[in-house]
Amino acid sequence: MTPDVPWLASESALRGDAPHRRGVSTHRHILRTWIAAASVVGLAGCALFGVDALRVILVSLVFTFGVDLMFVMSLRRASSGRLSRTFLIGILAGLTLPADVDWHVAATCGTVSAVVGNVIFGGWLHPALIGRVFVQFLFWQKLSFAGASIALGPVLTAANLFVGDLDQSVRVEHYEGWLETTVPAPADAFELTPPLWSLRQFAQGQVPVDGNFRFEPLLRDEMPPWIDTLIGAVPGGIGETSTLSIVIVGFFLIYRGYLKWQLPVAVLSAAFVAASILPVESGGDYVWFPVFAAEGGRAVGLAYVLYHLTAGQLMLGAFLLAGDVVSSPMRAHGHVVFGIGIGVLTIFMRLYGVLECECYWAILIMNVFVGTIDRFTSRRVLGTAPSEDAVAA
Amino acid sequence: MKHSILTHLLGPRSAFDGGLYLPDRKAGLARRPIQTFHAEGPLHVPLTVRRDLLTETIVRVGDRVVLGQALSRATNDQSVGVHAPASGVITKIERVWTVEDGFLPGAILAPDGSNERMPQHQGWDDESIIVQLAECGVVCDIPRAPLHVVMREAIAAGVTDLIVNAMETEPYLTADLRTLVEFPGRMIDATCELADALGVSRAILAVPFRHRRVVRRLQSEAAGRYVEIVALSNPYPQCHPVMLLKAVLDREVAPGASILSEDAVVLPLSTVRRASDALLSDLPTTHALMTIAGDAVEHAGTYRVPIGTPMSRLARRVGVAVPAAQAVYGGPLTGSALGYDDAVVTPDSKALLLFAKADAARPVPCVRCGWCIEDCPVGIDPPSLMRLESEMVCTDQKRIALKACIECGLCSHVCPSRLPLSETIIRNRIRFAGPEPSTEGGTRH
Ligand code: SF4
Ligand code: SF4
Repeated sequence: MTPDVPWLASESALRGDAPHRRGVSTHRHILRTWIAAASVVGLAGCALFGVDALRVILVSLVFTFGVDLMFVMSLRRASSGRLSRTFLIGILAGLTLPADVDWHVAATCGTVSAVVGNVIFGGWLHPALIGRVFVQFLFWQKLSFAGASIALGPVLTAANLFVGDLDQSVRVEHYEGWLETTVPAPADAFELTPPLWSLRQFAQGQVPVDGNFRFEPLLRDEMPPWIDTLIGAVPGGIGETSTLSIVIVGFFLIYRGYLKWQLPVAVLSAAFVAASILPVESGGDYVWFPVFAAEGGRAVGLAYVLYHLTAGQLMLGAFLLAGDVVSSPMRAHGHVVFGIGIGVLTIFMRLYGVLECECYWAILIMNVFVGTIDRFTSRRVLGTAPSEDAVAA
Repeated sequence: MKHSILTHLLGPRSAFDGGLYLPDRKAGLARRPIQTFHAEGPLHVPLTVRRDLLTETIVRVGDRVVLGQALSRATNDQSVGVHAPASGVITKIERVWTVEDGFLPGAILAPDGSNERMPQHQGWDDESIIVQLAECGVVCDIPRAPLHVVMREAIAAGVTDLIVNAMETEPYLTADLRTLVEFPGRMIDATCELADALGVSRAILAVPFRHRRVVRRLQSEAAGRYVEIVALSNPYPQCHPVMLLKAVLDREVAPGASILSEDAVVLPLSTVRRASDALLSDLPTTHALMTIAGDAVEHAGTYRVPIGTPMSRLARRVGVAVPAAQAVYGGPLTGSALGYDDAVVTPDSKALLLFAKADAARPVPCVRCGWCIEDCPVGIDPPSLMRLESEMVCTDQKRIALKACIECGLCSHVCPSRLPLSETIIRNRIRFAGPEPSTEGGTRH
């Protein structure tokens, strides 16, 4: 090597603080991966609910992003991290809405997410969920089950994925399951009862008992086959129902290390346990430990509990909403506590509460306790005794 | 260490909470044998090893010296002299730039290419080991002090355990690994000698389990000897003395205290290697063993380099593929910037890393991912300490946390928001927790 070749590109090569090499995951990678994950779930929603779903997601996204962008520009406080997060929030807010809402519902949801969630609260309560529960109150005639004698929602048939029109829906007399049943020619979609509504009715004793059978009428007459709730072919929010796609992207996020596996595991197992234990009202009295119920030689109790996990909201909440980095605890131990809280509160509110969107409320309630959880799960500093002060710090 | 079949297959578990298995980037690099650089061109030899250690220069301009001849002499028993890294003529006495100490008094030595060296005395048993170490100018890396001073303090503190640290878990660094591959017997012998001099009841050599062949070789060398070989899992920063003490002896050092307070002394393998030259061959320290690597380097490897070689010449000797956008002295996580391109090699230099790209990114606000907290080896909460930057007062817990930080740099390394966490902690430690305890005896570098 000849000595006159420069060995340093510039003077700045001689400066800098340790560490000189950084890890490869930046906030950009994290947010991009999350946005991709949310989009995959959105795509599954578009398949099941048609282009209407795409319209809702886009409106929500445009309003969330636009309002936040206006705020950021007016304060001249741009940071790339903030806007990519707003983008994610916009998609997530869209995923929580049903596909057949008017565009102004989605627009309100996005605007409130940005203004209240992002700007006023600074993001420590999940912004998308703030927007969602707000529109739940504002547009309750459309979104709420309350008061209706029977709730109905549309979902496209297997033959009309993506392209079908949700307005062309019919109610089928003998519904055998999404894959097995067909609709008469001009219609594109089924009109079905949302499984969440059925579960709530059942817990309040609204499903009549059939002889000795308490669970059988629910499972036989009210609920779609369990496999449908896995695919997501049931009415509900765009991204709420397709359990399969949520689990797949959730695993991908966990594999990349952008979601702590403890969180979905804690949420789902806590919900499982809570649904297994908490009593349901049936035929005038309370049935404790519904999971052990067996009727006609079938483990109907277990089926009932599994429906609770996959009927809607909980899966999206456990994998994509609760795991939001900003509004969840710092440590894995904290995520376990946080997740247990979400799981139990969700089932509790679903069984006895009047608020709908129970999973979203549960996440918002647990968001409030994140600071407390962080304090109680702080680590012991090496070489010091575990002390009360460390907790009180 | 218990070894079940499972540990054989998977390796031992990590011995402390936190830490991270970094991509080690040693493949290939570690397979190349150690090569010696012969002095070409003038050497800028610093005449003392630390700014506050006084020495008396005993050569003058125009003197001819031979390899290993003393250039300076200690003026008190805290200090050590420096020996000529090559035969040649002293052309100038002027200050030289070192990365750790800034300008030091130095001598410019023009090598004449002869292989002449000071005669070696095979038996020096009339002197004690400690005197021999001082005569040969052996220095210790952590704490940065002459080895005989470290040994004297350890003996005064009544240590019962000696741990030799060959963990080297930082990416790129290969000097310790190459030493173990090439001189396993000598390392064991020198460890025994040092353990004898310290009067400890246990001498332990800690090596990474993942280099299984090295571990087996060492175990057979150490059979029937005084030294125990302990193979550890190697998450970063297992190489730090505090983490090593926790892993090997399960003792925890109080925040800010020295390792000696736990009755143990941890010596880096590089120090033992220099001691082995002094004790087994009566050779003074004249060369540093350095890893020269990074993606801007053509012939990365482990090199034995004469003290006083300027870094720029070192870089050209190994070949720079592209001009480096970042030059690091030491490991990628704990090293320092060169500061000045005339920096020279000192006895405790361990690496020169040249990177084609600087790793800079604009920080954004904390996203509360918790990675820094989960990975911190001592269990402190870096973002909360980061906020100290804008605060005027510091609570007691935070002061303890500031002192407990071992400056491993892992929090800044993992932070996806690219926040300068460890840098801020180090700054605030000086602001709130007072200056570091003096490097003598304080093993938290
Ligand atoms: S530099 Fe300090 S705070 Fe950061 S990970 Fe290392 S010990 Fe923890
Ligand atoms: S690693 Fe960075 S972004 Fe994550 S919690 Fe720590 S400081 Fe915040």
